[in-house]
Amino acid sequence: MNVSASSFPLPTPRSRWGSILDKLLSGQGLWPAVPAIVVLIVVAVIPFFLLLSLGFADFRVAQGRIVERSFSLGFVTSALADPLYHVTFQRSLTLALSTMTLCVVLGYPVAYLYLTGGPRIRKLILFLTIVPLLTSGIVRTYAWMVILGARGIVNTALLSLGVIDRPLRIMNTHWAVLIGMVQIHLPVMILPLIAVMSRYDRYLDEASENLGASKLATLWHVILPLSVPAIGAGAGLVFVLSYTTFVVPQLLGGGNYLNAATMIYEQVVYSLEWNRAAVSALLLMLSCLVVLSTIAILTNLFCRWTREAQR
Amino acid sequence: MRRFANNAGADLLGRGIIYALAVFSLLILLLPAVIVVMISFDTRSFVSFPPQGFTLDWYRQVFQQDALVDGMVVSLRVGLTVTGLCILLGVPTALVCARGQFRGVGALSLFILVPHMVPGIVLGVAVLFAGADMGIGPSVWLQSIAITAFVMAVMVRTVTSRLQRLDPKLEEAAANLGATPWQALRTVTFPLLLPAVLAGSVFTFVEGFDNVSVAIFTHGFRDRPLPVELIALVSTTNTPLVAAVSGVQILLALLALLAISRTIGLDRVNG
Repeated sequence: MNVSASSFPLPTPRSRWGSILDKLLSGQGLWPAVPAIVVLIVVAVIPFFLLLSLGFADFRVAQGRIVERSFSLGFVTSALADPLYHVTFQRSLTLALSTMTLCVVLGYPVAYLYLTGGPRIRKLILFLTIVPLLTSGIVRTYAWMVILGARGIVNTALLSLGVIDRPLRIMNTHWAVLIGMVQIHLPVMILPLIAVMSRYDRYLDEASENLGASKLATLWHVILPLSVPAIGAGAGLVFVLSYTTFVVPQLLGGGNYLNAATMIYEQVVYSLEWNRAAVSALLLMLSCLVVLSTIAILTNLFCRWTREAQR
Repeated sequence: MRRFANNAGADLLGRGIIYALAVFSLLILLLPAVIVVMISFDTRSFVSFPPQGFTLDWYRQVFQQDALVDGMVVSLRVGLTVTGLCILLGVPTALVCARGQFRGVGALSLFILVPHMVPGIVLGVAVLFAGADMGIGPSVWLQSIAITAFVMAVMVRTVTSRLQRLDPKLEEAAANLGATPWQALRTVTFPLLLPAVLAGSVFTFVEGFDNVSVAIFTHGFRDRPLPVELIALVSTTNTPLVAAVSGVQILLALLALLAISRTIGLDRVNG
């Protein structure tokens, strides 16, 4: 029963601000969100459309300000024909897709361990996934520079075991970037999986085992299909982050290793080609959307397919 | 159910492989931090593994380098500003997202989440260009507001999911005892929301302190935040100094984690 406050006329001292707030709160309307909406429009929506317009404009930059502009498709068409763009975007895409795949392969077992493990294991897993998230990406990348460098752990170990007789060159290669990417984005894959897994009813597990299924069969036929949406969400996140990341390729890839993000950085900060940078940012964003929607569509298709297969 | 026929051997092997992969992943997650901390105490002045000897000298040097200390101060300012703005803007927005009774609440929630899904580097470039167009140059403020737009979604999402789990009867009870809506919110709802706000704050602060993709385009040219300073340092030097900076950050991360697990519990972090 919702008895209104006025039926108990208690003398409560109220400030003027309090009564203004009361009026605004009682409507359950939009107003408390207005400041946030304004900020997002000014800081995200307007800049984004400006970027969009700059991709199709010939403009001149003088002393850090945009002067003079006129409509032009020139920068878009020249970017689409530029071999540097092809190489860079292809590399970013390959890297991000392989990072995503490896993160699923390495992350899912952790989530399964979380599902089947006791409270201690659960705590340990949460600890090991959250601490890296709170530690700087540069710190973690730096660690891989130490591990993979010429005098790093990997080379020291291989040399002393006699597997190789001179240090392997791992740093500044595609492999170094891939290893760094996977480790840095693994927690982002694991957390959504754990969030979903921890909601599973344990009885589901037991029911399937009572029907005679082995643990592995339960995983394959019951748990895995249920966790496909979470895999899709985690994979999407890992894809966006590794497709657009700046730090790892910059530090582990060496000077010549450009991905989409480092290319944009060079265009803005070093070669001052703002027109090209605007086009690059738009291409990055668009290709990102295409891959993300593909992941979403595949996830949906898979869910529908398993539902129909179970009928 | 012949399909589910037990094959103990295959079952054991399959689960063995899965658990081995899980342990491997957990080791990979742990390894970098352990290595960096070990290196940061090394007595030699070049980075090499395993370390020889123990010294705290690199940690002393971190706080003697002006560039690093300045970077930390800038990052601290940005981190605190971002967190403050996210609380001020995000908590009321979460109230609307969780309680609003008008058409378009769903659209609002989506709108708040979108900037977080845009690649940070695209948002950084966009804000830089828009600022340039309006004659606003990169600065601590531009950086803070841009990162706020980027991460506010985290605060809104955490607080909204907490609000949705709260029992509305608690506020009704307050109202029945004569509390005005604002009094009910202040004395009943806000204290219950505090853990969620704290969890959101930890993540927004870390993002403000450590963001690279937005910050490299929006930071002031004289106010370089720590990550930007560190990238330059990592690519030019090969001393354990960077490892010591990392050691400090890892320690801070552990403290933040301790704060989370003491207040809301680790398993609530996901919202």
